[in-house]
Amino acid sequence: MDAKPPPLGKKAPRPRPLSPNIQIYRPQLTSVLSIANRATGVLLSLAAIGLVIWISAAAAGPEPYAVIQRALVSWAGQVVLFGVTFSFFLHLCGGIRHLVWDTVHGFELRSIYISGWSVVAASAVLTATAWAAGLFVAGSR
Amino acid sequence: MNRQSFRSPLARALGLGSAKRGSRHWLAERVTAIALVPLTVWFVASIIARAGSDYTAFVSWLSTPFASVGMILLLIALFHHTALGLQVVIEDYVHSGARFAAVIAIQLCCYGLAVVGVIAILHIAFGG
Amino acid sequence: MIINSSDQVSRFTWLKRFPIPHNFDVMPDSRIRPGRTWPAPAGATKTKAFDIYRYDPDSGDNPRLDRFHVDLNDCGPMVLDALIWIKNKVDSTLTFRRSCREGVCGSCSMNMDGTNWLACTRFISDMATPATIYPLANMRIIKDLVPDQTHIFAQYAVIEPWLRSKTPEPEKERLQSVEERSRIDGYYECILCFCCTSGCPSHWWNGDRFLGPAVLLQAWRWLNDSRDEAKEERLDNLEDPFRLYRCHTILNCTRTCPKGLNPGKAIAEIKKMIIERES
Ligand code: SF4
Ligand code: SF4
Ligand code: FES
Repeated sequence: MDAKPPPLGKKAPRPRPLSPNIQIYRPQLTSVLSIANRATGVLLSLAAIGLVIWISAAAAGPEPYAVIQRALVSWAGQVVLFGVTFSFFLHLCGGIRHLVWDTVHGFELRSIYISGWSVVAASAVLTATAWAAGLFVAGSR
Repeated sequence: MNRQSFRSPLARALGLGSAKRGSRHWLAERVTAIALVPLTVWFVASIIARAGSDYTAFVSWLSTPFASVGMILLLIALFHHTALGLQVVIEDYVHSGARFAAVIAIQLCCYGLAVVGVIAILHIAFGG
Repeated sequence: MIINSSDQVSRFTWLKRFPIPHNFDVMPDSRIRPGRTWPAPAGATKTKAFDIYRYDPDSGDNPRLDRFHVDLNDCGPMVLDALIWIKNKVDSTLTFRRSCREGVCGSCSMNMDGTNWLACTRFISDMATPATIYPLANMRIIKDLVPDQTHIFAQYAVIEPWLRSKTPEPEKERLQSVEERSRIDGYYECILCFCCTSGCPSHWWNGDRFLGPAVLLQAWRWLNDSRDEAKEERLDNLEDPFRLYRCHTILNCTRTCPKGLNPGKAIAEIKKMIIERES
């Protein structure tokens, strides 16, 4: 960039400012869904730890398992579980969208937007369906 | 942007050159993703079908060969995918010497957790 | 809202910017201070406010945001016309690049209302009020709206954007069939305005090593040229966790390209070609 060093004895000039990026760039479906895919991925990583704890508790016997179950059916546990379900479906649908792109299909801007909104709608519907089914099964037991 | 540097712009852009790899990581992320589509959907459906059931019902389901094999496959694909994905996230945002350490730590945690999960499944399946 | 082509202005977005502090992750020297408001032209009946990023390297001050009032009855229809009007009528020190004023030279790329585009092909009537104009995002700024493009052009040089062949030079031209030639359609038209690279979040975080969409689209243009004989070297030089694989298919690039090109697709083609070579 700047091949010339400042003359001896002079203070180095201030560095060139960096123009703003994320501070001003307009959120668009493209970037927002990408961030969402990443955020849900990180959240699901944490949920994966929970999964291992849950299975290990089951392996350890009825008492440890009951502790986990109680936490899961608590008010906070249900909220977390709901968030994890939605994250799972968003990451699943978004991931399938990415897999299609990897075959170099669906890159026209119109397709990008249609698939993007479809991912949002599908994850909402799937989450609602999954919870309705779960509550129905649990209720009829 | 160090004004004291005489490195040419091209030298900066070239950096240390191409690693000549990266496709394996990219492909593995896709392969595990494809495996996870049926595995996770099966898992979520199975959990929903057993919502509200008690310990014995859950454990007897987990100890069927189909369920335990499915769960072991799920754990392997899941944690491999997680390790690959989190590595990319760290490489994106961590720009210090902590990057390498963080990537190693993530991998150790993921493979460690996968082993713990698999052993737990085997324990349940074979009534240890 | 469904976007059909990149020239569609996004009017209906819930958020104009991400909900983060204005100086989030900004080094002290780059923080934007409030600037001055220039008086509206006397006697103008139809004016529009423009908030414009200013940086004067000689002042030693931080960048600032100045407000101008443009007399729309005295000014052409494009954002570039407004900038020229300001330079002629209000503040002659306002500095920006322009040349062709018809979207073929790529000089006047800048960030308008939060997305990158060419000032000469954006209608003032499509701008919000006040209109906000920043230089291309994530660039070192020389003055006002003029970014330093040294690094991105050096990245362009990394991919050796010229025909590389091993066959001895033919007596006349190197032939290409109509079909072979048509395969670089949608890629050769790039004007190197760098709207895409400057709008790519991955290039924001790792621009020192990630080549960015503009350069990778050019890389595909040469990989896809039937006359080129350096595919092996080209793919070797691209296959790198940072140079190529930092692209996470966010597709801000395709959304913003003022020529309607598809850098995101070009990058997917490169990734696919690398897998083809291995399998
Ligand atoms: S698709 Fe790739 S190159 Fe284009 S904006 Fe996204 S990360 Fe950047
Ligand atoms: S691909 Fe489009 S946005 Fe990117 S440099 Fe070329 S013309 Fe500009
Ligand atoms: S002035 Fe040439 S592209 Fe705008």
